[in-house]
Amino acid sequence: MYIEHLSLQNFRNYARLEVSLPTGPILLYGSNAQGKTSLLEAIYYLATSRSPYTTTDRQLINWNADPDLLAFAKIGAEVVSAFRPLSRVEVTLVQEPGALHSSLNGSRLQKEIRINGVPRRVMDLIGQINVVMFLPQDLVLVEGAPSERRRYMNITLCQTDATYCEALATFEKALTQRNALLRRIADGEARPDELGYWNEQLAQAGGVLIAGRQRLLRDLEVKARRVHRDLSGGDEDLELSYQPSFLPTANNSGQLSFQVLGLDLNRQLKASDIAAQYVETLEARQGEDIARGMTLIGPQRDELRLLVNGRDLGLYGSRGQARTAVMSLKLAELEWMRDAVGEWPILLLDEVIAELDAARRAYLLDRISGAEQVLLTTTEPDIFTPEFLQKATRWHIRQGQIIMPQDGSG
Amino acid sequence: MSKAIPQSVTNLIEAFSRLPGVGPKTASRLTYYLLRAPDELSQTLAAALADLKSKTRYCSVCFNITEEDPCPICQDEARDASQVVVVEDPLDVLAVERTGAYTGRYHVLHGAISPVEGIGPEDLKIRELVERVQQGGVLEVIIATNPGMEGDATAMYVQRQLAPTGVRVTRLARGLPTGGDLEYVDSVTLLRALQGRHEM
Repeated sequence: MYIEHLSLQNFRNYARLEVSLPTGPILLYGSNAQGKTSLLEAIYYLATSRSPYTTTDRQLINWNADPDLLAFAKIGAEVVSAFRPLSRVEVTLVQEPGALHSSLNGSRLQKEIRINGVPRRVMDLIGQINVVMFLPQDLVLVEGAPSERRRYMNITLCQTDATYCEALATFEKALTQRNALLRRIADGEARPDELGYWNEQLAQAGGVLIAGRQRLLRDLEVKARRVHRDLSGGDEDLELSYQPSFLPTANNSGQLSFQVLGLDLNRQLKASDIAAQYVETLEARQGEDIARGMTLIGPQRDELRLLVNGRDLGLYGSRGQARTAVMSLKLAELEWMRDAVGEWPILLLDEVIAELDAARRAYLLDRISGAEQVLLTTTEPDIFTPEFLQKATRWHIRQGQIIMPQDGSG
Repeated sequence: MSKAIPQSVTNLIEAFSRLPGVGPKTASRLTYYLLRAPDELSQTLAAALADLKSKTRYCSVCFNITEEDPCPICQDEARDASQVVVVEDPLDVLAVERTGAYTGRYHVLHGAISPVEGIGPEDLKIRELVERVQQGGVLEVIIATNPGMEGDATAMYVQRQLAPTGVRVTRLARGLPTGGDLEYVDSVTLLRALQGRHEM
């Protein structure tokens, strides 16, 4: 899969950009704050409907845009896939009228999505473009809060599994409603018997989420373990451990499929079995939920841990081990996504090459050499080997402009 | 607002801004249009606004908005009192009426259960519906709340409340839009349509 054409309007520091993208590696170089990363961000946004960097979409809109006009930003791309005819995806972010005078971060944005010119939902956008992104900040997958790892699983699964994505949206909506209801019950404004419907919604969707994550992690673990062994010279054994906030068991055997370390990834549970047990647990622990005013069990509280040689990396690992594990996980994700969609996703590597030693740089570049399209950013193009630079298209990025080299000028 | 604008103008702009779908620009445009238009227009508008709240009330039977109680539909002997369609809002009554095929009566809940917005079952006209059914004469309650999460929660709650009365409770079917294209239907809708398929 690759992007043939990218257009940006008022996106970050790009006032307007229309550019055709070649296949193969594209090396974006230039000083800091010129707009290299913004190009990667735009593509990532089209793939996932969110930015990898910011939590408020308002920041994506060009800060030089005329403040008197309605603020908006537009990202569009033409995507070529082996399985579909050329498709054109487009996202427009428009500031909602009436919100003009509210605080910048608080104001709401309308997201308009068009696929081949037809207005669509966010849900339909996700999966049109498949990307895997490598970022220096990926280290939070080991060192960060549990929510970072849940977010990682959600985004990865959403890109390939529309059912998971629908379930996630339903789950989040039902969770918000149930939590609000719990607080109303605690305040004496509602009765516990009103919980029934929300429990059911939560469990149906939650079952799909847990089963989906189990499937993902089983595959990721096999692949990540192999990469990690390569990178660590065979010394280290990487494990992924999913630790659910309640204990779903396989239905027929009656045996606990929960181990001390987490869910047994090799004994796949059915979403409907998980849902039934989830409802039971929600009902059993209702009192606690009401007292705390929030739902304490479910996929929104589950944990993913990374272990090396049986020891928890987040707690006992060194920085170096954490970096290796993250790279293993990301390369596993890449391989997994390629298997899941049947073709290479687009790769986005933001400044990660500079952080690696020569051996790992070579290993990474070798692993991704088969990709149809790779966008890399760097401030120092010299760190790449001459062979790589030979193959790559090099673009100099300066102040929101792409400066393409004339033929022969290098 | 700037000092260049008299207070009475500012007041109307701000009042318009509080309406749904009206931003500050539209509010200003409406206000200045009224300033230039003949006096008669603003007087008619003012009178209509005043009547809106003073002359209307809820129908004591179905809780639709009405000027006379009971409302014309509830008074209409030609309409079948044994069938009741339950909707969230008065506008939904109009939608069902537009089909021209429904000859029963209505019950308006005035909202849907949504804990986030602080709307619980006691804020809706659910108790009134149960009482209405208990009084007898109703054979079927057709629940026509919106097909979203809140509408479904409301439907399920209403159904549970009505269960002891033994009345027949049905829910509107969901499925494909007429004139639609199967290829472009979202997967949830298609799944519902598949589940709700019927013999032909």
